Formats: sequence, structure tokens, C-alpha cells
Amino acid sequence: MLGFSSLAQAFDLQQLSDQLAKPDVIHGNFIQEKHLRALPQPLTSKGTFVLAKNHGLLWLLKTPLQQDYRISDKGIARRDASGWQMLPNKSAGAEQNRLFLAVLQGDSSGLQRDFELSLSGDAQNWKLTLTPRSMLLKQVFNQINIDGGELVHNIELLETQGDRTLLRMQDSTSAQPLSDAEQHDFAE
Amino acid sequence: MTLPSERMLPRLFLVLLLAVLALAGWQWRDGTPLSANLMELVPGTAPDALELRAEQRMQEPLNREMLVLVGHKDRQQAIAMAQKLGEQWQASGVFEKVQWNLQADLPALRTQLLQGRLAMLSAADRQQLIEHPDAFIQQRVQALFDPFTGFSLVPSQDDWLGLTGRIQNSQPQRGSVQLDIGSGVLVADADGKSWVMLRARTVGNAFDMNLPLQVADLLQHSREEAAQADVQLLAASGLLYAASGQRQAAREITWVGGGATMGILLLLLLAFRRWRVVLAFVPVLVGMLFGAVACVALFGQMHVMTLVLGSSLIGVAVDYPLHYLSKSWSLKPWHSWPALRLTLPGLTLSLITSCIGYLALAWTPFPALTQIAVFSAAGLLGAYLSAVCLLPALLKGAQLRPAQWPMRIAESLLALRESLLKYVRTPVLLALLIAFCVGGLLQLQTKNDIRQWIGAPQQLTDEAQTIARITGYQPTSQFFLVRAVNQQELLERQTALSERLDQLVNLEKLQGYLSLNQLVSPPSEQRKVRDALGKLPQFWQPLLELGVPADALQAELVKLQALPTEDIDAALAGPLAEPYRTLWLGPTDNGVAAMVSLQGLNNPALLRVQALDLPGVQLVDRLGDLNKVFAATQISAAELKLASCVLIVLVLILPFGLGGALRIVSLPLLAALCSLASLGWLGQPLTLFSLFGLLLVTAISVDYAILMREQIGGAAASLLGTMLAAATTWLSFGLLAVSSTPAVSNFGLSVSLGLAYSFILAPWAGRQVHTAPVAEPAA
Repeated sequence: MLGFSSLAQAFDLQQLSDQLAKPDVIHGNFIQEKHLRALPQPLTSKGTFVLAKNHGLLWLLKTPLQQDYRISDKGIARRDASGWQMLPNKSAGAEQNRLFLAVLQGDSSGLQRDFELSLSGDAQNWKLTLTPRSMLLKQVFNQINIDGGELVHNIELLETQGDRTLLRMQDSTSAQPLSDAEQHDFAE
Repeated sequence: MTLPSERMLPRLFLVLLLAVLALAGWQWRDGTPLSANLMELVPGTAPDALELRAEQRMQEPLNREMLVLVGHKDRQQAIAMAQKLGEQWQASGVFEKVQWNLQADLPALRTQLLQGRLAMLSAADRQQLIEHPDAFIQQRVQALFDPFTGFSLVPSQDDWLGLTGRIQNSQPQRGSVQLDIGSGVLVADADGKSWVMLRARTVGNAFDMNLPLQVADLLQHSREEAAQADVQLLAASGLLYAASGQRQAAREITWVGGGATMGILLLLLLAFRRWRVVLAFVPVLVGMLFGAVACVALFGQMHVMTLVLGSSLIGVAVDYPLHYLSKSWSLKPWHSWPALRLTLPGLTLSLITSCIGYLALAWTPFPALTQIAVFSAAGLLGAYLSAVCLLPALLKGAQLRPAQWPMRIAESLLALRESLLKYVRTPVLLALLIAFCVGGLLQLQTKNDIRQWIGAPQQLTDEAQTIARITGYQPTSQFFLVRAVNQQELLERQTALSERLDQLVNLEKLQGYLSLNQLVSPPSEQRKVRDALGKLPQFWQPLLELGVPADALQAELVKLQALPTEDIDAALAGPLAEPYRTLWLGPTDNGVAAMVSLQGLNNPALLRVQALDLPGVQLVDRLGDLNKVFAATQISAAELKLASCVLIVLVLILPFGLGGALRIVSLPLLAALCSLASLGWLGQPLTLFSLFGLLLVTAISVDYAILMREQIGGAAASLLGTMLAAATTWLSFGLLAVSSTPAVSNFGLSVSLGLAYSFILAPWAGRQVHTAPVAEPAA
């Protein structure tokens, strides 16, 4: 019992938060798999992302179609021929994107508000399970699973309706600063 | 000394008084028959039953609902406080429903979206599906990969074409509040705080006398409780305005009524130096009783505003006893019944002329003024009867030895006038006066606005504006009423209107609107969508490439085409339709009707133009219409004033002859003119209420001219009587001028001015050469 609790204390939510909040900028590739209940094959898309502290997230979808997204405090924007277009702040959508940022940035206090969090593993190999608290969220998600090491590796969203989305972040690095183009994208 | 009839009169009057008291007791058996509904006071401008029903439907939430924002810099604390208050309010019994979080019924929402996939598709989406099916499919493919579209309520395999998502996204955005997904509350972020929305609906409405006060007290209590946790509350509700109006009315009745009573009693005591003279207040009390009873008998209840304005009757009612009390300066020794006999004709004339003046108010289209007219006329009759039948008996044997100071004032005023007339003759004075009038009238500005009726405290309006800014909810009182023979035509007409309103929204002249055609499309459009779906298989190759099974798509198509055409009633059944339900008026005598509500309007004139050439579409703008009625009434009020003057002249011809009657009436008219000019010089606007005030002045101040012309007991004694009468009346009306309701204060100001001028001008009434009946009997 004693051993177990001291083990649990070895890597706690606060430490995970601190660890994930450390890098200023993360670059990486992602693979998104949407497992729809009625489809034998998942809908798979690939691209790159840039997560920058104090700025937000650039999500650049490359295949099978090209589309750039930006998530920040101000909301979500999509790039078209004439530049970034803010999408209408649909209440539920905006909330989901707040969650998404909180997950990637390890903002566990933001997540604890809406989910029961359970953390296992250690700093190099951890797994975080999110179970919704509110009736409203329970009608949408069964569970969200996140795992990773120094950075986040996988995010899995299990929807109540049976669909499942898996986001795999690969080759993430925190060594590279924001390029001019990226800075421009965040500033615009 | 006392005639036999004068022994009978007090007893007869007491019987009458008892009867009226009994009636009053019966009227008050179920509590106070008082009303605070402002709309009862303004003219009905909607003769159309449907328009009236629509108006009531739109106003109902204003009078029954309260919107509160619970603000704290930490969202969780704000939510916790909203929940705590919500539970407290629910338990209070004042509210029928308190809502602090959305209990979204997602399964019902899903069913509604799936069932309405043909009927609820927006115009833009319909157009794309029909005209550019390839782009429609392309967008669907994109959406399937988009990780940020938000929750899809309906899983992809139940809606491969993504129609439910489009319906959800095309619903008009309502303000800037967002759903906090964790707690289910609606929240808006502004000024560095999170504001959680709390909505409450009362069991009764704002016009139940006690409810607004209960709600206001509860809110105050909650504010204090929240403040301890550093949480700020902002509230908006028609109930709060009603509560503040009631408190203000009560305060003003106390001030005006109490102030006038104290002032008049003090004046009586100082002038007559006998405690028994306080009995002169009996006619005032009887007058109030008669007024209230008549009002409730005729209208079923009495409005608080009638009470406020009616409390000025105190000063007029006390004039009747003053008529004969003031004779104590010239009649020595003074005895009550002989003094009454001497002044009875003048008293009676005064009653008739005042009643004519007050009842003239009753012919204006304002229910408020009709009530005040009835209250005042009945009150004056009561005061007159008690002054004539009862008071002399009460004062029998009283030895009045009045103070000499009022007489000295009157004498020195007369002397002043004489010496003035020595230097400047009357025609010159008249010319100067007319110059003054012309100068003032040229500067006079008219101003009429329903808002003058409401003395809303700054804090309430500020909070309502802050709430509108934070939430983006800016409901307007104007709305469109759309009529048609059937639902198809109705929705078509609303679509035509929507196109114009969209332009206004794009020009930022309008923030938004809500119309049934945003929820459900006309049956003909639903058929077009069904036909267009039949051609879709030629375009859905990109979906097949993603791996969507062809038979799944085919099966979905069959299901979609089998969906029945939805009518308005079906569309309104689901949870998504909640904000639309009040808009549907249903079947009418000539077809169907619905409303279109508006948000954040800044130019009503623009709206009126929109409806001009659209058949069946009408803008209902109660405030605008009322302001027009105000302006029109100003003219009819002036006509009434002249008519009442003609009537008074007719009454006065009998005792004074045509010349005398004209002269007596011309003085109050001139006084009214001077008051108008003074308003101009003072930079005060002429409102409908100032005009009504002047209408009244004519009636009251004819009395002064009569008193002066009769000159019973000499010029100084007559001026003294006039002076006392004017002082008491002025005391009660003058106090109205301090009211914080602009309408009441305007009324008080113009009456005060009119009375002052009437008093100054009264000595020019001339001197009646008494022939027979009104002759001065030996004292």
C-alpha cells in the first residue's frame, strides 16, 4: 500500500503538466485515423503540426486533401485563397477545441474541470485516461486516452456513437524555433 | 341662524358617506385594487385582434422573465454561484422555472435533425445541393477529414451526406454566449470575467402587485450573498422596472400627499389660529374616498399613477371650505351656515367649471387621463358635498379670529397693483405681456416620447445595457407580423422578408432576426430538395473513393426521399425549435400568421421601408405608433381646451353676462399662454403632459377670476381668498414637479406656472355689479 502510493507519487499530474508545458515550440507530423463504425477502413489523413506556447496550434493537413487550420484563444480559423478565415464560434465546437489545446499542452487543471483524470506510468512512458464528468459530455464521449513520453504521442477519442478518432503525433521535436512563415501565420 | 334644511343636510350626507364607505369596503375585499401596468395607461393603437395577440406574446417574456449574469474572474466560481442561486430561487416559490444549465436532450435533438433533413436545410445549403452537387459532395469529403468541426451529434453512418451538421451550423447564432460543455451552463467572457447566464421565469407577471417587489428583494438578497464571494450579479427584467416604479410611486405619493397635507394644514393654522380649522381637511379626505371608489367602480382598479397625480387633488378640494372660511376676515362675527349661504353660488360655479376642465381630460385617448379625470371629478363632487352639507355643521359655533397678516399681504398687493397701474396702464401691460408670450412661444419646442412615462433608475438601464453588450442579446420591441392564406405562402413571404433583413444585417443596421423560415422551408422547396437528391449518385464518386459503401449511400438516399414533407407544427415540436415557438401564431380567421423577431436594431425607419411593398408583411412598432399618437393627441388636447372654455363661458353667462363670462375665461387662457411662453423661455420642452396640465389650469383658475369678480367682502378679502386657494393648490401641484417620472414632473411644472399666472392676472377680472341673486346679503 505504502509502496503503491509512493509509486503513484513518483509521477503525478502536476509533473506531467510541467513536463508538457516545458517546450516553447513543438514541430511534428501527424496521422489522423477516423474509425467510423460503418466503414471497414479508417479515413486516414496526414500532415504536419506546430504547437507554440502562447500562440496556439497550426494543423496543416497534406493528404488526401490540403487544408490548413489554426487554433488559438481567439477561436479556430481555416485558410482559403484569400487568407485565414475565422470560423463562426459555434459553442460546442469552440469548447472541443479548447479541450484539444488543453490536451496537447498538458493543461491538466483545464481538463480536470470536465473530466476524471487517471494517470499511470512514468515520465518516459505515461498514459492518461479522461472520463467525462458532466451529463452533456457523457452523451458525446465515452473516454479519451492520451499517451506519450517527453511529448504527447497518441490521442484517442472514443465517441458514444461508436466512432473513434486516433491522432498519432510522430517525429515531434522541440528543438526548432518558429519559422518566419509560422510566426506570420500565428500573427495574422 | 340655521335653516331646517341645514339641519337635515348633515344627516343625509352622513348616510351617503356610509354608503360610499360600505362600497369601498366591498371593493377592497380581495386586497388593494391597484395596478402598476404601464401599458394600461397608454392608448390602444392595435385595433386588430391578431396584432394584439402578437404583441402580448412578444411582451410576455419581458414581464415574466429575469435574466441574470453571474460574473467572476474564475469561471468555476461563477458557475458554482449560479448553481447555488439557481437552487435557492427554485426553492423560493417565486419562480415557476429557474434555469442555470442546459439539460440538453441529445437523443431528441438527434431525432429532430434526422427527421428534418429535407425540411430544415437552409436556403444556401439547398441552393448548393441543387445547383452545385459536385461542390456539395466535395465539402462533405472535407468535413469527414476535418478534426475541428466540433461534435457531430449524428454519427456519420446515419447521415453520410452530412445534412444534420449543415442544419446545425446554419441555425442563427444567438448572441455571444457559449456552452460550457463540462457544466452545461451558458457563459460569456467579457471585462476579464466569466459571466454565467441564469434565467428565471416567475409564476405570475410584472403586474401582480406583490410579485415585482418579491423578485427585487430576492435579487437584492442574492446580490449581497454573491458580493461576499466577490461575485458580481447583473440583472435585467421588466419585473425590476415594475418594482422600481411601484416603490417610486409609493415614495412620491408620500412626498406629494404628505407634503401638501402638512403645508396646507400649517397654512390653515397660521391663517385662522384655531385648531378646529383643521376640520377643513374633512372634504379632502371625503374627496379622496369618492375619487377612489368611482375609479374602481368604473375601471375595476386604480392605477398607481392616478394616485400620484390624484394626490394633487388635495390642494383643489381644500379650496371649497376656504371659500367660506376666508370670509371670516370680512364677516364679523363669522358663522358657518350664513357664510356658506353667502358663498354657495360661487362654490357651485367653481365645482361646475372645475369638473368641466377635468372631464375634458377624459375625452383624450389616454386611459391614464380618463382615470385621472374620473378620479378628480368624483373627488371634487365628494369634497363639494362634504363642504356644503357636513362641514358647516362641524364648524357650528366656531369663533374664527383670523390672523391679520394674510389680509395685510393682500392689501399691500392690491396697493402695489394700483400704484403700478398709475404708471403703466393696462393696455400697455397687455402689450408687454403679449410680447413676452410671443418671444417665449417662438422658443418653445415640443417633445413626446413614451419614455417620459417611465422614470427608470439609471442603474437598471445601465445593467440592461451591460447585459446586452456581454451576451449580444439585444431584443427590440419592434417585430414583423406576417400573414398568409397558408403555410406555403407564409414561409415564402418570410423568405422574401429575410432577404431584405439579411441585407440590413450585412450593412450592420441590424444584428439579427429570428424567423420560422430559418427553421423550416416551404413545402415546394422541400420537394425540390427531394428531386435534387435523386440526381446525387452521379456526383458522389469522391465519397465512394473514401471507402463509403455504395449500398450504404443508396440506402440513405431511399430513406431521405421517403421523409415526409414537414409543416411548421411538426418542425416546432423538437428541441431545436425552442426559440421559434413564440413566433408561430397558428391559424387565424383568414389563414395563418407568424412573427419575425429582431435583435439589435438601430434604425426603426429603415425597417418600416422593408415592409412597404411586401404583401402580408407588417411592422409592429408599438413605441413608434404611441409616439405618433402622442403628437396627434397634442392637437386634440388643444381643441378640447377650447371646447371646455366655450362650455365654461356658457355656464358663466347666466350669472355674469356674456361680457363678464368672456372676461373671466380669457384670464386663465392668457395665463395658459404665459405658461407656455415661460416653458419656452426656461428651455423646457412642451410635452403632452404640460398641455394636459394647462388644460386643467383653465378649469381651476376660472375659480379665481370668479372670486375676484364677485368681490364678496371687498377686493382685499377676495384677493385673500384667491391667494389662499392658489397657495394650497400650488402646494400640491408644485410638489408634483419634483417627481422623477418626467411625465408627472412636466405636468406639475406647467400647472404650477399656470396657477402663478392665473393668480397674478385674477384682479383684472373686473367687478361685478350685483343685480339680484348673488347680491351681498346683510352680514
